[in-house]
Amino acid sequence: MSLPSGHTMGHTDQVAQRRARCSDIYQRRLSSRSEKVNPGMHSSSHQQQDGEAAMHGAHVDSSVRYTPYAISPYNRKGSFRKQDQTHVNMEREQKPPERRMEGNMPDGTLGSWFKITVPFGIKYNEKWLLNLIRNECSVPFIPVEFHYENMHASFFVENASIAYALKNVSGKIWDEDNEKISIFVSPAGIPHFVQKELKSEKVEQIKLAMKQQCDVSQEALDIQRLPFYPDMMTRNTKMASNPGKCMAASLHVHEENIPTVMSAEGMDKWKGIEPGEKGADRSPVCTTFSDNSSNINSILELFPKLLSLDGQQSPRPTLCGTEAHKMLPTCKGSFFGSEMLKNLVLQFLQQYYLIYDSGDRQGLLSAYHDEACFSLSIPFNPEDSAPSSLCKYFKDSRNIKNLKDPYLKGELLKHTKRDIVDSLSALPKTQHDLSSFLVDMWCQTEWMLCFSVNGVFKEVEGQSQGSVLAFTRTFITTPGSSSSLCIVNDKLFVRDTSHQGTQSALFTLVPTAFSSVPAFSQEQQKMLPS
Amino acid sequence: MRKGRSYWSQEDRERHQRRSHYYEGPHTSHSSSGGRTREEVVTPPLPEHAAAGSPMAMSVDFKTYVDQACRAAEEFVNIYYETMDKRRRALTRLYLDKATLIWNGNVVSGLDALNNFFDTLPSSEFQVNMLDCQPVHEQATQSQTTVLVVTSGTVKFDGNKQHYFNQNFLLTAQSTPNNTVWKIASDCFRFQDWSSS
Repeated sequence: MSLPSGHTMGHTDQVAQRRARCSDIYQRRLSSRSEKVNPGMHSSSHQQQDGEAAMHGAHVDSSVRYTPYAISPYNRKGSFRKQDQTHVNMEREQKPPERRMEGNMPDGTLGSWFKITVPFGIKYNEKWLLNLIRNECSVPFIPVEFHYENMHASFFVENASIAYALKNVSGKIWDEDNEKISIFVSPAGIPHFVQKELKSEKVEQIKLAMKQQCDVSQEALDIQRLPFYPDMMTRNTKMASNPGKCMAASLHVHEENIPTVMSAEGMDKWKGIEPGEKGADRSPVCTTFSDNSSNINSILELFPKLLSLDGQQSPRPTLCGTEAHKMLPTCKGSFFGSEMLKNLVLQFLQQYYLIYDSGDRQGLLSAYHDEACFSLSIPFNPEDSAPSSLCKYFKDSRNIKNLKDPYLKGELLKHTKRDIVDSLSALPKTQHDLSSFLVDMWCQTEWMLCFSVNGVFKEVEGQSQGSVLAFTRTFITTPGSSSSLCIVNDKLFVRDTSHQGTQSALFTLVPTAFSSVPAFSQEQQKMLPS
Repeated sequence: MRKGRSYWSQEDRERHQRRSHYYEGPHTSHSSSGGRTREEVVTPPLPEHAAAGSPMAMSVDFKTYVDQACRAAEEFVNIYYETMDKRRRALTRLYLDKATLIWNGNVVSGLDALNNFFDTLPSSEFQVNMLDCQPVHEQATQSQTTVLVVTSGTVKFDGNKQHYFNQNFLLTAQSTPNNTVWKIASDCFRFQDWSSS
């Protein structure tokens, strides 16, 4: 496999350092995944670009990124199990590397890039496939960044006429089962590898500038080489390097700019936050998604014919490319605005649930505002047979989508701290697993802190003792006395976990807000319904 | 360079036409073009504003706040998810300029970033199964009328498997004598099974 001309392999020291850091992150990230994956096919483009064996350590990524079943050389046909399909689809939900690059620089001298895709190309060995195509293709070509994506094989070429020639190969080549191989061609943004290589000088300048602002941002630029989890590096890199302990990852904080409407003085109400801690001067590097549309649009205008897939018209391209290219952003863990707020919220939650689980919830009276509101809901899903563990919550459940009785609408919304605490006291006794908590702090002003907690708890008495339920609880709080929070709104949503298969993940492997040992002992965990 | 500039200015023009309309109630919203396109969340005027200027402050009881919150929430949810699914480009009109979204832990803030974000998100099919709301206490909002809206259900993004989701919104009211327009100040979205992704 040849590389595009001009590729340099300099600054290996820096690269090695970056890889070492990235490898660390990967270990952590992997240990947080609940599903076992087998080493899959490595993307050979990565192998060749660096020629560093050390890369493979960091490239357990490909096993996670690509299908979980071992891929032998081409022509492995089989029924892909639905479960695997699901996993594959999940893995798709990451942005392709070329779209992560900030500072996309449209430049006429770079040429037009096209993405060549072989559907179900995952069955085929890369060399075999490329040779087959070469034999049939009327022009020589250099495939760039060959990789497997879901079940397809793809690479890029930098020339419209080459792309066109490749398109003509579609349907004229067969695999050893005598099945026709198709080739799809679409315009693409500049592949990330090429961007980096050709613009390394510019990137260096950007790196220098960003280094002054935020170390994390620099990491983000470096790590974009890696095929996925590019957003990972927006997290605080000062993590304990403890691959086995996923909890370490829970201590990270997004030091990104979060919008507030408060002035620096107003922040004092949240007890001691430094203006610098707000991160107001740090530009968020990876929160917005890069925009390739200007490139794509001009290419589309020039080569409308190349849009057709196998003779059919492709759907009209949107500004960001065809729908097939749209990926979901990576799901991340807890978000706190700052270290200080994180401590405040976690401390609050620890105290709150200590009392909540203690057997006497009257102690929560002091946590609520006199005129606070509380309501609770369970999911309404017509297809579900009534889950027995949720039935105790049913009578208090407020779902105004279905609830038309205005009297009940009012009744089910608890008002005043007295009513709220009485209502909470009537709910089943619980044991919350703080280690499962995932917190989103999603609104913050001078007078209010609003956050949502996701996690699991166990019922500790009654018929459904031992059953595990999942919850999402939204608290709206105001600054209270002596560095505490005062709840003005409280919304609880409870659901069961049995049909979502999240139990094991939630209990053991998810980066969560608390670093403490799970509330459930080993023995208790074994007793949980699987 | 802002992409798609020409699109926005055309839609802005249309929006200007509709601005002169006001809505009588949650179920009778019309656009000037005569269709049922609803691009804003509008409910009847808020009681305290109806009495604005009166030397005696009109006391609004809790029940009124609750009713108002429910109306806003119901109208909002209908419009929001329909817009998200069918007219994605119009979605950011439902947000304040400085609104924030936290989407599965990803922070998106400000209208520009929100526009980008919703543009890059694959097309969606939402099914809302649960909706609840509460009026937010004025101590937290300094008398800026705000409603907490909480939804749950399923969503299928194109090219991805179906997910259960939970979503929270803070809606703030912008009041005129004729009506109240609700906009999203903050938005928090999570897959329920995010951890297995």
